[in-house]
Amino acid sequence: MILSELRTSAAAFHASTGWEAKPEGLCRGEICVPAPGALAADGSLDVTIAAERLGMPVIHDADHGLWALGTATLGGRALDTATAADPELLTFDHEPFRLSSLRGKKVILLAWSSY
Amino acid sequence: MALDIDIEKARPWNILAGPTHPSLVDTRHVTNPAFGFTNIPMAVWIDENGTLVRPAEAASVERSPLRNMEVPEELPEQLKKVMQAVKKIPDDAEAYRAAILDWVKNGASSRFVMTPSEVVERSGPRSNAEARARACFELGEHLRRNGHSGAAVTWWKEAHRLDPRNLVYKRQAWTLVTTPADATEYDLMQGPNDVYDSNLVDEVSSEGGFVQFIVRPAL
Repeated sequence: MILSELRTSAAAFHASTGWEAKPEGLCRGEICVPAPGALAADGSLDVTIAAERLGMPVIHDADHGLWALGTATLGGRALDTATAADPELLTFDHEPFRLSSLRGKKVILLAWSSY
Repeated sequence: MALDIDIEKARPWNILAGPTHPSLVDTRHVTNPAFGFTNIPMAVWIDENGTLVRPAEAASVERSPLRNMEVPEELPEQLKKVMQAVKKIPDDAEAYRAAILDWVKNGASSRFVMTPSEVVERSGPRSNAEARARACFELGEHLRRNGHSGAAVTWWKEAHRLDPRNLVYKRQAWTLVTTPADATEYDLMQGPNDVYDSNLVDEVSSEGGFVQFIVRPAL
């Protein structure tokens, strides 16, 4: 996730990282991590707190005024949960596509590249 | 799903394949943090309820014709090295394809389906360094898209240093500096180049072959 300040909307954080701010904490699949003080009443999220709780590295590019958020490292594995993430991908017509649109079918997501 | 920052570079391959299933592109490499893809081809299996039943692993489904080819002596040295390295990649294609067919037939009772805890346990490692590499790669790509190619290289070099087993981060970066701007396809050799310290052939050779970057399917 790319940020120009260390506060963002909970909705944007959810869309980019898969972690949703709920009353019980930051949740994804069956996992919820308490994050007191992270969520403000106006729906904004303190990224520093959220990142610390989820074990997400934050890097800063001072020259361009940007921060980038790394992935969560809660369990030391690439996956924290077997609930499939649902990132926004694109079709070859540049249309957004989410794997959740294929619920009810078996899906093999196979990565290839042209390089 | 093509792991390609440029849809147009992937398009000719997609047209040739003529897929009848959804065919996608991950232009921001978001499936690395989402699923743990670090090389190609890799795949995950997702059941009807949206639960992963196999984590990211090498996913060849047919034996590469390169394996049976004699490497012609007259080829450029770099190309010969790549072809020789490809021939040494462990061949799990037949077993992997059979596992897919077993899942299609038997569903949740297939012996190749893992429990949620097995899926998490068998997903690749993610240390702080690997998580930081993801941030560096994404920042580099953001900067590149916004006209700061030099700054992008700096962050991509850091991503390569932090996550040396992620061959996708490396190949995506190398190919951009060795492919002419007006080319319709990427330069598959990716170097040597004077921007990065390594390139595909030298990296694979120095690390002991493609096998060092492959997550073989546990079947």
